Amino acid sequence: MSRPLRVVVVNGSPTQRSKTMGLVKLITESLSQKLAIEVHQTNVYHLGPSFTGAISRADLDPAVEAEYAAVESADLLIAATPVYRGSYAGMFKHFFDLVGQYSLTNTPVILVATGGSDRHALVIEHALRPLFGFFQAATIPVGFYANSGDFDGDLVLNAEVYSRIEVGLGDVIDSLHQTVNR
Amino acid sequence: MAFELGILTFGELTTDLTTGRMPSPEERMKQTIEQARVADEVGLDVFGVGEHHRTDFVASAPHMVLAAAAMATRNIQLTSGVTVLSSEDPVRVFQNFATLDLISGGRAEIIAGRGSYTESFPLFGYDLGDYADLFREKLDLLLAIRAENPVSWQGRLRAPLVNADIAPRPISDLPIWVGVGGTPASAVRTGQLGLPLALALLLGPITQFERPVDLYRQASVAAGHDLSSQRISINAHGMVGKTSQSARDDFFPYFSRGLGENNHQRGASFNLPRNAFEAQASPAGGLLVGSPQEIIDKLLTYHDLYGVSRAVFQMGFGGVPQQTHLEAIERLGTEVAPVIRAEIASRESVNA
Repeated sequence: MSRPLRVVVVNGSPTQRSKTMGLVKLITESLSQKLAIEVHQTNVYHLGPSFTGAISRADLDPAVEAEYAAVESADLLIAATPVYRGSYAGMFKHFFDLVGQYSLTNTPVILVATGGSDRHALVIEHALRPLFGFFQAATIPVGFYANSGDFDGDLVLNAEVYSRIEVGLGDVIDSLHQTVNR
Repeated sequence: MAFELGILTFGELTTDLTTGRMPSPEERMKQTIEQARVADEVGLDVFGVGEHHRTDFVASAPHMVLAAAAMATRNIQLTSGVTVLSSEDPVRVFQNFATLDLISGGRAEIIAGRGSYTESFPLFGYDLGDYADLFREKLDLLLAIRAENPVSWQGRLRAPLVNADIAPRPISDLPIWVGVGGTPASAVRTGQLGLPLALALLLGPITQFERPVDLYRQASVAAGHDLSSQRISINAHGMVGKTSQSARDDFFPYFSRGLGENNHQRGASFNLPRNAFEAQASPAGGLLVGSPQEIIDKLLTYHDLYGVSRAVFQMGFGGVPQQTHLEAIERLGTEVAPVIRAEIASRESVNA
């Protein structure tokens, strides 16, 4: 008997209705058609002053500590950020600066980014992937990126992105099934 | 300028997804002429046939199909969509379409394009490496032939013409549009030549042509062309359904399959996911799929965005069954066209 896959989205966008989360929604929807999932979302820009002023884990409120616990025990992490000043958002990095060094070892991670143009597409490979390489996490081979012109509000209008999601998730869906059947 | 509505087909040869049956080339050809007849009957303005050189399409010689359509119709404009000019001889293209013009009583037209497939290049002995130069030079020659007879012309990729008599001459001025997929340089070049621009939309946001259209207009003005030469047409896939839902349900399976060829992932064809299709059919997506009212709204958006004065629907992509296709043509002519023509005429009379 399998259980639902615990998916945790780390959202690096401060906006309520964000393009970054519009892209993530396509990924979680596609996942939910392939296996049972439960999704938790951690919004790094809305964790409050105990987080923004934290120098170490001990400084965090219990509610924020619970967010860290969710991330560190996820079956699948979706790390999603807009591109700010050429890289991931500062608060997004601040969040991961307080994640345990070995807490994400071998955790599957889906890398997601949105940017003002396709000139930023390699932020996935040049910024996000090395960060999770440090954690020795299992980043999935295909990253997902869309530029602001690909959206109407938070709806993705670039059909290529949808196909890429199907292909990218197809690479790892068997191992995700194994995770919940163990 | 009166707003024109039309249809375009490639003569798709793929199986009916319900019955699994494959139409024979002969059957599809008859159906194609029937589509032209119905389009003309319901008052549509344009019937187009695209050129493809492979067994999943029946139309490799659009002028032949259009000549047959000419005899089955009275008023409709007959156009290629597109003529892959880069791998054609412009002399022959002109002769073919001038002949069509005589057959049809002045209804012939050419949409010249680079083509989205490349099969025709090796077939006719052209080097794909010359892709851009071939199109530029051949369009130049085609325009020279249209402008005067006899004509003298010299280029790099074709033997020169010296005082050449090219016949027959058409009744009309034989309109030549340029089909553009959105490449800014192509839009600029079309504007410089003072030719009408046929925007071909496959997938993407409805706003995706803002930059190329701006560049087209600027280039046309800078080259000193009359504003009236700046016509813009949107050529897009679509389906006018009875309802919003039936349009999507009828069209999606065929479109998704047909598009697989254009939606490669890792070098292999990949069918378009349904949610991707739904996004394209939403008000901000470019596809012309929906109920008559949805189509009317979207055409008005296209008109407001780009000042388009023509919309050409490709409703058979992927091999949509004939009955569904004919009903969609009828709805386009009887439910969409009258509303759009009246609405745009009233908007333009206010502007003027």
